[in-house]
Amino acid sequence: MCSKDDEYDYLFKVVLIGDSGVGKSNLLSRFTRNEFNLESKSTIGVEFATRSIQVDGKTIKAQIWDTAGQERYRAITAAYYRGAVGALLVYDIAKHLTYENVERWLRELRDHADQNIVIMLVGNKSDLRHLRAVLTEEAKAFAEKNGLSFIETSALDSTNVDMAFQNILTEIYRIVSQKQIRDPPEGDTIRPQNVEPIDVRPTINPDGSRKQCCQ
Amino acid sequence: MDGESDRSSFWKKNLKTVPGRPSPKREAKNSSKSKTPGSTSFQDFQASVSDAWEMDDDEFCIISATENTRISKRVSQSAALNVLNTHRNTAEIDVSSSERNNKPHIAPEPNTVKISRIPGRPRQLHYYNPPQEEDNESKLERFEALLENPPSLQELSKMSWSGIPVKVRGITWRLLSGYLPINIERRNGVLERKRHDYWTLVEKYYYTEHDETNRDIQHQINIDVPRMNPSIALFQQKTVQIMFEHSIQDNYVFAQVGIQKKVLQLEELIKRVDEVLHKHLKRHNVSYLQFSFRWLNNLLTRELPLRCTIRLWDTYLAESDCFATFQLYVCAAFLLYWKEDLMQERDFQGLLLLLQNLPTQSWTSSQISMLVAEAYKLKVMFADAPNHLLSNSGDS
Repeated sequence: MCSKDDEYDYLFKVVLIGDSGVGKSNLLSRFTRNEFNLESKSTIGVEFATRSIQVDGKTIKAQIWDTAGQERYRAITAAYYRGAVGALLVYDIAKHLTYENVERWLRELRDHADQNIVIMLVGNKSDLRHLRAVLTEEAKAFAEKNGLSFIETSALDSTNVDMAFQNILTEIYRIVSQKQIRDPPEGDTIRPQNVEPIDVRPTINPDGSRKQCCQ
Repeated sequence: MDGESDRSSFWKKNLKTVPGRPSPKREAKNSSKSKTPGSTSFQDFQASVSDAWEMDDDEFCIISATENTRISKRVSQSAALNVLNTHRNTAEIDVSSSERNNKPHIAPEPNTVKISRIPGRPRQLHYYNPPQEEDNESKLERFEALLENPPSLQELSKMSWSGIPVKVRGITWRLLSGYLPINIERRNGVLERKRHDYWTLVEKYYYTEHDETNRDIQHQINIDVPRMNPSIALFQQKTVQIMFEHSIQDNYVFAQVGIQKKVLQLEELIKRVDEVLHKHLKRHNVSYLQFSFRWLNNLLTRELPLRCTIRLWDTYLAESDCFATFQLYVCAAFLLYWKEDLMQERDFQGLLLLLQNLPTQSWTSSQISMLVAEAYKLKVMFADAPNHLLSNSGDS
């Protein structure tokens, strides 16, 4: 299997987390296969997909782990946080409870993931305008307070889905390449096969800016 | 964050209006309550789902031309055939000699079911009506003959192991699972008593959703059940969903310790029977939990078309301990079936994408027959080695 897909400069492991039913699997299928299924099956344990994107002429391969949102699988899914350099923490803009639980998910990450993991808060189902229960400004303020990036997406109509993944992967890339300039790694460069935890700097961008998306 | 809002009223309002989102609990409860307990509603239910079972159910002996080459390459066919024949022969009851001379089940059949597939991508299952084989007729006759008189449960198990004809599947499953007594005279009485007991239990335990303590779990179950298998109409029926809902409530265990143990046992077993494959997976950092958790958690229903799951249950019900141990061997045989494809994958991504999206869309009963035969072989092989699954080396 030596397709072009296998050639990449960086391999980043990213996890999708959040309450069940918020649309994690559809975000993944929209990003990796441009597919959406209104009647998607609940995820059992974890599912896996990849897609490569270009940043600064470099090929970045995202290895994305879609986790089950159900409480009962928490012991299984937490094992997959190890080695992840990014996390998309997803809630449903039409279900306030899924937004309230964001704090619990942040705690999960603190307990099980690398402390420098880049986290993006994702308000999904932005197409459900008439049912909106979480205000954009409120979520944005919460994200800022907690040092997270923020974006609203709709896996159904594709709004911002690519953007969300692009942004988090670019953010990780910037941090990793900054680090390489600052203190060169012992080897030549980061080896493509290496999925070990990368020492990622705090999630604030070096220039203080923040990638955001406004409706 | 704002936790003040009244969650329950909030949910209900939203859920009602969103298509494709979990349906509101209220409706389900009312519909079930309004039903008159008794045989009428049961028969209604039975009648309403019978088509779903038949539509999808192919008889064994069907094998597509493409699949056939695959099997002969993969599996040591003679060994599997032996197992099948052993089961068949011991299951024979008094039948005419002409029926004894039937060809083996897995005789190739030039019936092509071409289902295109995009790699790494789960596909909607396709249904079709496979042509009947004459072998079916004789098997059905043998079943009917056996069922006519009070059958011996042992004989019935033996015969069922290699698959049950659609027409007698319902009654056979009930007998094998112990729901119906073997004694024909006692059946009506027992059935009446069991249904009465059931409705008493329903009254007592069914409407637990008002319990404050259960509300979180109930909320999760309401999300999960409609999403179990959305593409299959049977699973979208209200009655079926309510049945699953209560089954989940009964079997909810945090962290699925039992399943994790089974995953370890599967790893131990593969390490013993196919070190090459085991090392290949390990070399590429694939852990068994990453793919087999779902196999064991969902009894392979996510990996197989429904018709194959039903055929698999014929064998499971015919196994003496149901499938407490057999399921493990089936999963092992399932993994070994894909060895050739897996060995061709050269990296973690390729392996995991394949393992999580195994192309079984065109599978029929034939593949299940091979699978359970292989599983049976493994089970027999390890029957005298009770310590073979002891996991003391942990990770390898």
